[in-house]
Amino acid sequence: MKAIRLLLILAVLVSVVASFGLAQKHPRELAEPAPLAFKPVKPVEFTLANGITVFFLEDRELPLVTINGFLRGGSLYEPQEKAGLAGLVGTVLRSGGTALMNGDAMDAELEFLAATVETGGGTEFMTVSTNCLKKDLTRVTEILASVLRSPAFAQEKIDLAKNQMKEGIRRRWDQPAQGAGMLFAEQVYGETAYGRRVTYKTLNAITRDNLIAFHKKHYVPGNLFLAVSGDLSKEEANALLTKAFDGWKGEKIDLPDVPSLTEKSDGTVYYAYKETPQANVVLGHLGVRRNNPDEITLEVMNDIFGGGGFTARLMKEIRSNRGLTYGIYGGVFEGKDRGVFRIASQLKADKSVEAVALVKEMIKDLQTNPVTEEELALSKKSLANSFVFRFDAKERIPGMYLQMKLEGYPVDYYDTYLERLKKVTREDILAAAKKYMDLEKMIVVVVGDEKKFDKPLTTLGAVKAIDYQKVAEADRAE
Amino acid sequence: MLQLRRVITIWILAPACLASAALAQSLEDRVTVHRMKNGLTVIFAERHSAPTFSAIYGFKVGAVDEVAGITGTAHLFEHMAFKGTPKIGTSDFEQEKTILAQSNAVGRALSLELLKGDVADQVKVKSLKEQLLALDKEQKKFIVKDEIDVIYSGAGGVGLNASTGNDATQYYISLPSNRFELFCLVESERLKNAVLREFYTERTVVQEERKQTTEANPARMLYESFMGAAFLAHPYGHPVIGWASDINSVTLEEATAFKKKYYTPNNCVITIAGDITPAKAIPMMEKYFGDWTAGDPPPVVRTTEPKQLGERRVKYEAQAEPQIIMGFHKPAFPSRDDAVMTVIATLLTSGRSSILYTDLIKQKQMAASVNAMAGIPGARYDNMFVLTAAPRHPNTNEQLEKAILAHLDTLKTRPVDAKDLQKVKNNLEASQIRAMRSNMGLAMTLMRYQLLFGDWKLYLTMKDMVASVTPQEIMEAAQKYFTPENMTVGTLIKKSK
Repeated sequence: MKAIRLLLILAVLVSVVASFGLAQKHPRELAEPAPLAFKPVKPVEFTLANGITVFFLEDRELPLVTINGFLRGGSLYEPQEKAGLAGLVGTVLRSGGTALMNGDAMDAELEFLAATVETGGGTEFMTVSTNCLKKDLTRVTEILASVLRSPAFAQEKIDLAKNQMKEGIRRRWDQPAQGAGMLFAEQVYGETAYGRRVTYKTLNAITRDNLIAFHKKHYVPGNLFLAVSGDLSKEEANALLTKAFDGWKGEKIDLPDVPSLTEKSDGTVYYAYKETPQANVVLGHLGVRRNNPDEITLEVMNDIFGGGGFTARLMKEIRSNRGLTYGIYGGVFEGKDRGVFRIASQLKADKSVEAVALVKEMIKDLQTNPVTEEELALSKKSLANSFVFRFDAKERIPGMYLQMKLEGYPVDYYDTYLERLKKVTREDILAAAKKYMDLEKMIVVVVGDEKKFDKPLTTLGAVKAIDYQKVAEADRAE
Repeated sequence: MLQLRRVITIWILAPACLASAALAQSLEDRVTVHRMKNGLTVIFAERHSAPTFSAIYGFKVGAVDEVAGITGTAHLFEHMAFKGTPKIGTSDFEQEKTILAQSNAVGRALSLELLKGDVADQVKVKSLKEQLLALDKEQKKFIVKDEIDVIYSGAGGVGLNASTGNDATQYYISLPSNRFELFCLVESERLKNAVLREFYTERTVVQEERKQTTEANPARMLYESFMGAAFLAHPYGHPVIGWASDINSVTLEEATAFKKKYYTPNNCVITIAGDITPAKAIPMMEKYFGDWTAGDPPPVVRTTEPKQLGERRVKYEAQAEPQIIMGFHKPAFPSRDDAVMTVIATLLTSGRSSILYTDLIKQKQMAASVNAMAGIPGARYDNMFVLTAAPRHPNTNEQLEKAILAHLDTLKTRPVDAKDLQKVKNNLEASQIRAMRSNMGLAMTLMRYQLLFGDWKLYLTMKDMVASVTPQEIMEAAQKYFTPENMTVGTLIKKSK
């Protein structure tokens, strides 16, 4: 037996050594390449006579045109008891057709042209996205304009959309990681647009009149911001949009103030039982308001700690060194109001509590010791050298600039990005980690089967049980 | 009525044909193919719109090349390809090498002992585990963690990743265009000199990957059972991630042997799309990849799936809402019937004006989703036409199956509208133009056709084949393949608590 093992060792040694070809250089021995000839491309901005804002970039490479749009307004502005209204408007605006063309005819015509006109509703913005071949641009823009201007909100399509959303509600608890995410949002954000869930009850409360009123209020030219790119000139774009939206009127709208979020996280560990092989863990608390002075510091901190793939500490330690998960990501993220500090992972069940404790220690370490010089240098190099990839797809650029504007970022955000990045220090990161992460307040949501865990969850803090099945069923109570 | 449609169709057909010719031309203008002496094929697709490039290379090896007991090895090896070389990922390879060999031997002994199951010698298991831990600790002194990631990240690389499928394994990276030499150095180094360090830790990562992506995902679990039933003999029937038992027991030696057989230049295609000029890049590629030694032609898969001679049904019970999956065996590309079945899949479920979407989701409102695919799970060998659907409560899998089958029957006897066929063609044209918007998308398409079928231009052939499918062919294919004896059905049954 021993002899056999020795033979095996020898065999392995031979195979390991024999398989190498000619030794090459280490990549660090390569000369630093010539700097990249690159200057960020910028869209031009213009306003149509009726107040529609347009960000435009010409791109002649392919015979395609992209028109994406944003309108202020979203689930932040819908009543609590009618949660889902913005989402429903976003769906039925397009599927319900217009006075001149029903939704099915629109599906048929657009799909025949291999074109898309899609609408949606988010938290803060309502959206529209269009892509078509240049030859069909006039017709597709007509459809786009008619959808935004005069949707029919056909009752049968409202019913269809509600039914589909309800089926989604039935199914959304099937996957434990998604379930853990919803429970985390509910605990961190409470009864706000960020934390609440659309349910059968809130959908039942929404009427066609609610959709019509929502549309009337938000869908006006003064509130429409379009990002246009592709195979056309600025003049063509201007003429095309002017014609399609001719006669449409409506000033900029005022949206009500949304109450500020308050931190209610208190260090509780929430445990929901579900029969599943891993521990699905989400931990954190509220994050940070966007466009604040620490933003670039947080971007670097996240990259080093939890966001930058295999170079990030969490991935390196929890996955690569210990094999406790397939993936772990997280960081302090910005939002309109507070954003979120959030780390999520599906962990090896019989090491899961140990892994969570380790993550907590790693947070503590980030708040106690400055990141290393090497980590900071690598992160800065990585963010600076990959900056070019934000600008490598022209069809995305106008929308990118437009979104920055709508979210209140300075117009020179990208112009100053590299300079701001250079200035980030280890001390800045240490201060940000202390300021924006709070181990005492951080909640931990765990979906899984505690019997399979290595230790009781109580070792992580006070545990509150959530009945996963009951929560799922309550969502679909009529 | 029908005549009028035909007139409209012809009128629309003309510009579409023009677009198609222009597309073929514009692709051919961009593409350069270079073959090296060692059998490596390099394809360049030039796009100079931004100073970046995307590179993808694939090996014609996937789960289909695995046999019982080592399922998941293609994928596990893909993970190992990121662990470095004697130059990358280590601070002192000379010292590390000895520990690595010892730790591999202990790891193997442990795997073999654990395979004995209940009669495994627990004292031995414990001792081996302790030895492994001690060796790991010793080796870690010399390991530079995930250095390939570190190198690319510092150079501004994005999207460093890899994926394994039934047919092939592919590796991706996008870089600023001034980093082409770095790409050549890192990739040639790991292709020629990979060191499979940290194998047994990575194996536990893959065990967790299987739990996360498959075992916790009802749709994937249903698919796994379904494929197992649909393929009795052919290795298309086993999951790419591998069976849990195999992942738990595969050894480094098996992974190394697998690599040696398939990771040869003659079994590889590299595609570079973006701001790279072939005239300058080819000498660079020759410098770095030219001395990569060619291997024997990789073995072919011997097993062919016997003809299915009767309906097969499989049930999977879970705490999840019902779903159904239905499949029919069919031949693979470049057979004519593959193109016909591709058109059928598109007609059935592509878009909200498609046949099944219109009837089952919009009108009858029986389904939450329905999706047809013509080439599951791969394209190297005869494959399946597969439909997946989720009933909308309170509709059942049985009702949905019946409704879908009624539509498949209709296809056998009623010719589809010329306008619907035209729609399929229009979308194909447009999707091929859209594919050129992204360096990675373009690189992937060209690589795939070159690697699996020997010529990237078959991408254009595929399009021409699909564009020429007739209503008569659709009826014939429906009659031939949508039969009870050729059908496999899998259903996810919601478990009562």
